[in-house]
Amino acid sequence: MDRNQMQMHRQIANIRKSFFDQGYLDEQFVQLEELQDSSNPNFVEEVVTLFYRDSARFLYNLDQALEKRPLDFSRLDSLMHQFKGSSSSIGAKKVKIECTQFRDYCNARNAEGCKRTFQHVKKEYTTLKKKLEAYFQMARQAGPMETACRPR
Amino acid sequence: MTEGGINGFSSPRADVFPAGLRVLVVDDDPTWLKILEKMLKKCSYEVTTCGLAIEALDLLRERKDGFDIVISDVNMPDMDGFKLLEHVGLEMDLPVIMMSVDGETSRVMRGVQHGACDYLLKPIRMKELRNIWQHVYRKKIHEVRDTESHDGLEEILMMRNVSEQSDDGYLLCGGDMTPGKKRKDAEHKYDDKDFADHSSIKKARVVWTVDLHQKFVKAVNHIGFEKVGPKKILDLMNVPWLTRENVASHLQKYRLYLTRLQKDDLKTSSSGLKHPDFSPRDAAGGDRTDHLKMQQNEAVNSYRPPSNLLLQNANSRIHEVDLKGTASLQKIEPKKVLTGFAAKSHKASCSNVGMSHSFGSTQYSTYNSVLPTQYSWNEGFTEIQFKQERNPQFQVENGFADLGLPPLQQHNQLNLQPLQPIANGLFGKERDKQAKSSSGTKSSFGSYSLPSQNLMPSFQPPDPSFQPPDPVTSSTWSLKDDQQTSTDNLELTAFLLQGQNCPSTNLDMQNKGMLEDNDPGFIAEVPPNLYDALRFDYEFPDSLEYPVIDQGLFIV
Repeated sequence: MDRNQMQMHRQIANIRKSFFDQGYLDEQFVQLEELQDSSNPNFVEEVVTLFYRDSARFLYNLDQALEKRPLDFSRLDSLMHQFKGSSSSIGAKKVKIECTQFRDYCNARNAEGCKRTFQHVKKEYTTLKKKLEAYFQMARQAGPMETACRPR
Repeated sequence: MTEGGINGFSSPRADVFPAGLRVLVVDDDPTWLKILEKMLKKCSYEVTTCGLAIEALDLLRERKDGFDIVISDVNMPDMDGFKLLEHVGLEMDLPVIMMSVDGETSRVMRGVQHGACDYLLKPIRMKELRNIWQHVYRKKIHEVRDTESHDGLEEILMMRNVSEQSDDGYLLCGGDMTPGKKRKDAEHKYDDKDFADHSSIKKARVVWTVDLHQKFVKAVNHIGFEKVGPKKILDLMNVPWLTRENVASHLQKYRLYLTRLQKDDLKTSSSGLKHPDFSPRDAAGGDRTDHLKMQQNEAVNSYRPPSNLLLQNANSRIHEVDLKGTASLQKIEPKKVLTGFAAKSHKASCSNVGMSHSFGSTQYSTYNSVLPTQYSWNEGFTEIQFKQERNPQFQVENGFADLGLPPLQQHNQLNLQPLQPIANGLFGKERDKQAKSSSGTKSSFGSYSLPSQNLMPSFQPPDPSFQPPDPVTSSTWSLKDDQQTSTDNLELTAFLLQGQNCPSTNLDMQNKGMLEDNDPGFIAEVPPNLYDALRFDYEFPDSLEYPVIDQGLFIV
């Protein structure tokens, strides 16, 4: 095992690094990793799962709100504010950036800008979700680091 | 001090402090709740989580002394975080830390104004949570000084021992020098006492009963707000067992409340959901009587059925402020105790309103209908314990420094009616409302420094033809015993009320019209908000408390 496993771990480490390098995740994600311990060995994955499950409602509500005419910018802003807060919990950096952009458009009462940016938000949100799902799956397959490093 | 808690929840052990700190985390975002819980557990704290503000309050009320500190998000769906903040400060006197994604200065300022002992920005790092114990420690120190009791001291000494033993001694420098300094003070004070004799009983706080507070307010009024000082007040009050420190801390709270009330008034008086900064209408000056009328109108206005109300949004803030204004502004004869604002009479009706934490407009209607019947100031209410308000030092001096108190009087009469129901323990709600309503506001706080002056100008009675509500004689309010819950809330109200020195004309709270014959000066400025609050769905109990205390300042 070892060799393969070590390779897997290296791969996982690279993928993880790319998340940061490419701006998908920020420091908050590291905080989550640091919280993971023997009493909560899958903490990070649990949190991410919880986030995606809970935040779906914001996207749904935002979608609905964006259908209304005229747009209620105040409500849109409020919803996005909450969504952004939630996204910050897992360190979803790109998502947050789009959220901020969206709120700027809200403040400027720019309907087109809002709608356009919302598409970006959803895109980043979904992209990150896929990446993280793949990442966690690999990590599970690779097994705990200790195993890989155990001397033969 | 390691006795078991009242409800069987263990008190934190001072010798391992800060480990075991009992933290209540309130956040509607389940992801954050999970993360914070884990972070706090890693700090060796004892964590309880809650997804709703109302739940949190219930928990806190059930387990009195079951928690050491509360951390709450600002944006909660069922209650504005600021309101929760105030409630907790008033009812439980626990340190509260606010959290938010939004780090805007105005928001942070609001947090501080509402009494937050810290404001954290999300995403929150674990190291920020590690040091939250300092707020608990600081509070204990304050309490010990206030009460001059040895019980709290014992606990603090134990904590100190821990710090002395620790290598980095971070207890001493956790963030600011105050704890260290206070420690020295406490040390100096108690050095020569025999600690070994301290029994581990609960520390005794000075209970600011209605009577006591009345004396306080009288003294303050007598001296003149501007010239007031703890020593002078103490001398005038002539209460042998009271210390200068007790008075000083009470005075600070009183001022704080007034300031806050004022601000709220200002804020709420500008109608609409998001209050733009509003500038005092008639800039300082103005004929007091006119203001008074305005206030009265406003007050009256607020009594009108909801349809008349300008602001239908839940402007809890307004409620609160209004209440505050009323309560505090009146001068009350010592004998006239505002007993729960006709608590008896409309206890029933108000109790629903007050007690339920719902924020619906129904409450308001109830309130309205109840109002007119109110007032009978019964005497003999139970003492209202003035709960120490946890407060940032921040506002205290601001507004008061240059305030001339007298203007406060203008509001006096207005409020009582609304207050009554509030007095019935509806407080909390009001405060909540206010918090809610003010959330969108970015009013500048700077202009609020002077309670009295600002209040008046900003007040804009929607309908000038109102008759002022019945004047409220607010001396001290004490809620009846059977209004226990409201008692909590009333505390503040009472406190506030006491502030008002009602001229002899007073205020009998019968449904008389405004006290025409009252000395105009007597009417404290009633924060316009107070009445506005009535208009909205307003949850009385909570907000009442708050405002009341604020306005507790005396009217000379």
